[in-house]
Order: sequence, then C-alpha cells, then structure tokens
Amino acid sequence: MWNEYLQLMKAELMVTIILFILLFLKLGKKERETVPLLHFINILLLLNFISGFLYNAEGTLFGDMFHTSKLLSLEKNILNLGTLIISLQSFQWLKTHKHIPEFYMLLLATLLGMFFMLSSNNLLMFYLGLELSTIPLAALANFDLDKKISSEAAMKLIISSAFSSGLLLFGISMLYGTTGTLNYHELSQQLSGSPLQILSFVMFVAGFGFKFSAIPFHLWTADVYEGSPVAVTSYLSVVSKGAILFVFVSVLYQAFQNIAGVWYNLLFIISVITMTIGNLFALRQQNMKRFLAFSSISQVGFILIGITGQSPEGSASVIYFVLIYVFSNLGAFGVVSLVSAVTARENIDDYKSFYKNNRALSWILAISLFSLAGIPPTAGFFGKFFLLLAGAGTSHISGEQVNYLLITVAALNMVISLYYYLRIIRAMFMDGNDHPIDKVKASLLPNISFIICIGGVLLIGFAGGIYEYIYSLVK
Amino acid sequence: MSITLILFWFLSVLALFSAAMVVASKNPVYSVLWLILVFFAISGHYLLLNAQFLAIVNIIVYAGAIMVLFLFVIMLMNLNKSNEPKRNKWLNLAGVLAGGCLLLVLVAALKNAETKATLAETGTGNIGLIENLGKALFTDYVVPFEISSVLFLSAMVGAVVLGKKESSPDTAGQSGKSSEK
Repeated sequence: MWNEYLQLMKAELMVTIILFILLFLKLGKKERETVPLLHFINILLLLNFISGFLYNAEGTLFGDMFHTSKLLSLEKNILNLGTLIISLQSFQWLKTHKHIPEFYMLLLATLLGMFFMLSSNNLLMFYLGLELSTIPLAALANFDLDKKISSEAAMKLIISSAFSSGLLLFGISMLYGTTGTLNYHELSQQLSGSPLQILSFVMFVAGFGFKFSAIPFHLWTADVYEGSPVAVTSYLSVVSKGAILFVFVSVLYQAFQNIAGVWYNLLFIISVITMTIGNLFALRQQNMKRFLAFSSISQVGFILIGITGQSPEGSASVIYFVLIYVFSNLGAFGVVSLVSAVTARENIDDYKSFYKNNRALSWILAISLFSLAGIPPTAGFFGKFFLLLAGAGTSHISGEQVNYLLITVAALNMVISLYYYLRIIRAMFMDGNDHPIDKVKASLLPNISFIICIGGVLLIGFAGGIYEYIYSLVK
Repeated sequence: MSITLILFWFLSVLALFSAAMVVASKNPVYSVLWLILVFFAISGHYLLLNAQFLAIVNIIVYAGAIMVLFLFVIMLMNLNKSNEPKRNKWLNLAGVLAGGCLLLVLVAALKNAETKATLAETGTGNIGLIENLGKALFTDYVVPFEISSVLFLSAMVGAVVLGKKESSPDTAGQSGKSSEK
C-alpha cells in the first residue's frame, strides 16, 4: 500500500524532499561557498527531472482528491524541465546572492503547488495548489532585495493575485451553492447552465485570466515582469503560466464540458482581444523584459485559440505549444538574464550592435525570437500550426463550426508580431551603436541551458513523434 | 414569524447596512469599525446555521486579529485631507456604472437561481460543529490540510527573507525603517 502512495505521488514527494534538504542546509551552517552550493542544487534538480520519467503510474488517492496519469506526469516533466533550465540560467545572478537556499525553497514550493494543482480532482484542492503556487512567487519577485522596483513588483503581484483569487473563490463558492459539489466529475454532471452558474463560471475564468494574464486582466504583467529579477520573470512567464494553462484546459474540458457553448464565445472574445492588444503594446516597448511580457501575453492569445477547439487536438496542441514555449522563451530570457546580471543593461537600445561582441549569444536570442514569432524551420512554427489547426477544427463537445474570423485574426496578428520580433533582431545585427555591450562571458551552467534551449527549438519541430505521443495520451 | 426568521432578517439588514457604511464613511477608522460590525452580523448568521465553531473563529480571527492589523495599518499610513488623492468625476461615474451593472447581473442571476441551500443542513444538521469539522478535515480533506502547512512554511520563509533586508550603502537612507533589527 505504501508502495502505491510512493509511486503515485512520486513527483510531489521528490520536490518535497529537495525542499527539506534545502531547509536543513540553511539551518545547518552559517556561511557556505555559493558556487558548490549552486552546483549541488542543480544536480538535485536534474535528479528530480530524471526521476519524472521513471516508474510512472496512473491512479487516484485520498478519496478522489488526488489523481495522476501518464499525461499529468508528462506535464509535470515539462514544468520540471522549465525549472531546471531557469535554475541553470540564474547561476550568474545567484552567485553573488546571499539567500540561495531560500530562493530555491520558495521556487520549489511553487512547483509543488503547481503539481498538486495539476493532480487535483477537486476545486478546493485546486485552489490550495493555486495559492501555494502564487504566494511564494510574490516573495520571489522581491529577491533583488535592495531594489525598490523589485519591491514594487512584489506588491503589485501579491495584490493582483489576491484579488484574482478572491474572484476565483467567489465563483467557486457560487458553483458550490448551485451544484453542491466540488468534485470535477460530479460538477460535470450537475452543471445545467443556469444564469447563476454562468455568472460564477465567468468569475472563475476571470480569476484564471489574471493568472495567465489574458487581456483585460493583464495590467499587472508588464510592471511585475520589469521589476522582478530576470530568473523570476522567466519562471512567471513560462513555468507558472504553463501550469495554469494546463489546469485551465483540463478543468474546462472535464468539469465544464456541459456549458462548452458558453465558454467557446468567452474564449473567442478574450483570445482576439489578447492577441491584438498584446501585440499592439509589444510594438512600443523599450525595455527588454516588458517587451517579453507583452509578447508572452499575445502568445497566451494564441494558446486560447487552441483551447477553443474543444477536442483532444486542442488539449494536445496546448501541451505541445507550452513545451516549445519553454525552450524558445527561456532561450530569449536566458540571454537577457545573462546580460542583465553582467552589465545591468536591459533596454532594447542597449542591444544595438550586440552581434559585434557576442556572436553566439546573438544567434541564440535570434533563433529563440524566430521561434516565438513562428518562423518555419524552428519549433515555434509547428506549435502555432497545431494550435491553429485545433482551433479551426469542428468542436467535438459543443459542435461549434469552424470560426474563420478567429483564424484570420490570428494570422494577421502573426504578421504584426513578426514586425516587433524582427525589430530586436535588426537592432542586434544591423543597427550601429557607440557603446555596444562588451563581450559577456557565460559560465558552464548557463551554456548548458543554452544548448538545451537551442536544441529544443531546432529539433522538436522535426521530431514528429512528440506531438503524436502527446495526442495518444490525451485521447 | 419564527424567532429564527426574525433574527435572520435583523442580522441581514445589520450586515448590509454596516457594509454600506464601510464604503460610505469618510473617516477610514470608522470604516474599520463598521467592518467589525459586518463580521459580527455574519457570525450571527453562522450561529443560525448551527456552525458555532465557524462563528467563533470568524470573530476571533477576523474581528479580532485582522481588524487590529487593519487599524494599525491605517494609523501608520497617516491618512488625512492633505494627502488624499484627487478624484476624477468621470472615473467616479465609470465606477458607479460598472458597479451598477455587476449588481444588476447578480440580482438577475440570483432571482431565479436554484440553490442547494438545504445542503448545509443535510443529515443531522450538525455539520458545522467542531467535531464534524475536524472529522471532515482529517478524512476527506486531509491532503489540502497538509498542503496548507507547506504554504505556511513558504510564506514564513519569504517573510523572513524580505524582513531581514540588509541595508546596502545606496538604499540605507530610504530603507532605514526596515533595516532596524
């Protein structure tokens, strides 16, 4: 019996064990050498990532409170991978930081929250997982301890996430009031689409919208992304957002499939606004982190198109896209993180003539941006292709017809996004600059992360088996 | 009219009136005091539902601890006329419109709603007693209960790291308060 518990909760237990190792490390001795400590922690995270592939089982525990499956294990592996890459990339920044064990403790606490959120079968459990995955993030956003802008970011993050949690809870409580259950399976049978249920569902989606920063719930995003340390920004925009989107898809497809006609329209409108406004704001950003914040907002718009597909393809394409997004966005963030840690320069203008002194880094940033824009040889193209394909397919749940308007808007937005991604590439390769950034030397760990990211971006698109594998798990 | 019904209406009117006063009063300290009254009225509702434990916890935690924190914050913030932000007339109008729309939608949705209001009183009606609450917490909801301990641990770690900020030369002047240990 214990064996079953160990096997089913393996991912959560691994993270908890590492969390406690770090806690005792912190308690044990006063001062430690930072570089060996960081290497040690990265090895732990690597072990954690590898363990995600071993002995995966399916089943439910604790009276249908917790469940896991091959698909959930895959999603957890994607999150583990993202965390590992971010940890490798933040080496340069953390080397001089005094609170390394605390940083990783908070980071892993949020990861644990995401795992529980993914494995939840119950709205209460989901809510606790969500809180566990957002509250420590606010402390993490403040980890540039002597910068005022970092405190401001943390404040904005905690207030907006508290507000969105409030909305979400209000929605959940009204759902409970009308259906009398919190369990996903029972909810899906009880939902009838009465006005109160629809209203509570709208609040539920609004809460989610805050978390994955869809427009009109995006107002915190750019400020928080700009103020936080780059490692936390990339964690927020890749791992945190990926986890929320996974949960969003599974909750919509499982618990709310009865009212699919309602959320189809809702997501259609949010998706169009998010893509368009996100792109228009991204056009005029000067700070690299703000720019990546708005680009990530518009990427969410594309992901929502895939979700409107209401089919196994929709679910598979979202997971596939997030996997690619991990590589391409972290490639871009890795370069920005390194440059910011070494030179403290973060504006797009600073990147003019970046190619002159940093050839390899320029290419990494360029390839990542190409992938984000969705240009064919890179994986980003395949990700967007499958998202649009899923969005264009006829729905299996509510029988909605193909929405050509949505696909057309998406195509137009891809053209707009191409403009601002290429603007950065032009700045790096063509524009002149009197004071270009000097040669930035990366140490071993960030270099490994760049190899992983670029490898992922270039190879995943051609490894067709990956999408097939995800699709087979979803079906 | 039974005594329960009379109590219910009395507490509801009290709660709604004090909630309106929280928003309406000019002095923030009065707002907080009205808010305490809201919590007491809601605790009364819990008692009517036979949930004594929730009622007591609501009073101790919300009316006691959290409200005292509120008062402290308000006193520390030094709110007076001179540093009150100027209000935009159009912003007020927009707020009224948005709030009114939300109210309209809520009323419309609640009017014909079929609720499972009797749910809390299923079985023996003792579901809010501390014994039953403890049983539910440690059987059905044991995982969320344990996870919340990790949440508290991480919140504590975060608070300690941020609270222990050491003052560096360039910010020593502005963060003087936080660096006193």
